[in-house]
Amino acid sequence: MFKKLIDNAASKSPWLFHINAGSCNGCDIELVAVLTPRYDAERLGFKLAGTPRHADIVVVSGPVTVQSLDRVLRTIEQVPEPRVIVTLGSCPRSCNVFKGSYAVAGPLDKYVPIDVSIAGCAPKPEAIIDGLALATKILKEKREAMK
Amino acid sequence: MLPFIKEAVQQLFSKPSTEKYPAADAPAPEGYRGRIVFHADKCISCGMCERVCAGGAISTTSVETEEGQLITRRFFLGSCTFCANCADFCVKNAIELTTDYHMVARDESELIVEGTYLKKKPAPKKPAAKPEAACSAEPETPTVQPRDDGLPVSDPSKCVYCTLCAKKCPAGAITVDRAAKTWALDEDKCIGCGTCQEVCPKKCIM
Repeated sequence: MFKKLIDNAASKSPWLFHINAGSCNGCDIELVAVLTPRYDAERLGFKLAGTPRHADIVVVSGPVTVQSLDRVLRTIEQVPEPRVIVTLGSCPRSCNVFKGSYAVAGPLDKYVPIDVSIAGCAPKPEAIIDGLALATKILKEKREAMK
Repeated sequence: MLPFIKEAVQQLFSKPSTEKYPAADAPAPEGYRGRIVFHADKCISCGMCERVCAGGAISTTSVETEEGQLITRRFFLGSCTFCANCADFCVKNAIELTTDYHMVARDESELIVEGTYLKKKPAPKKPAAKPEAACSAEPETPTVQPRDDGLPVSDPSKCVYCTLCAKKCPAGAITVDRAAKTWALDEDKCIGCGTCQEVCPKKCIM
């Protein structure tokens, strides 16, 4: 009985974990703006988790630099299944203007499957809310599939 | 103490500062650079957008058909910086950045904007000239030679008459007529700065 209650509650409150994989900080600022009172994603149940082990949705920004690659993969591995990986902005999707650099190991989909990509450079906070809403939907589907 | 109470009471009855976004629509301000719209019918395939794109988001593929080349220009929004350089440099205004920011995708293909158009083969005059060129040892030989005096000269076999050189010429020495397909230089006005050569998307000015 309690399990059903927890499942129901958890599906309405996905926790985010944000990884900066060498981002320019533009997308990071927009993600933080989503959580501030102006856009207030917490009213929709999203909460920024302090550790990857508590998270359901991983938000990655930045082109995945050589320095950050190992850390990014290690962090994503720590997020329990089912997890949804969201790419924020153009960088993790395609490396954007950094493609071809010796310091960049991306794009991210070379290493882990991407579930949702939010395009924009940087994406508008409203677009991020759209993306997170889609991520919640996918998370629910994954939970159903795991049962 | 009193001013604080006044502020607290005011806040209690004022509207919340939170945007109502998922419930209410939130249009982007005018001039916001969002999803790209490509007007394929306007494109003259000068290739300038591809050259100025910082993120390498624009690619072109062409398929040979009987009527001419079927050219597809593809914009990958997942690699776009939305800097609008392509739209600024497009001489025919075929690229437009709209205020639509809803660019969320599960699949990569949802982030691709593309347009296809037919580049018709030149009038029958050209095919008659082509076999002639094929006969010569070097088919790649430019039809015009660079001038000795340092003034520009355009290669009509490569020129797409985009009028970019005429627009950028600081002395206004170049006249290009798109309809008549002519490129004319006013030698007295030309200062030999080389700007036309630099801006030419087809690299046909020598």
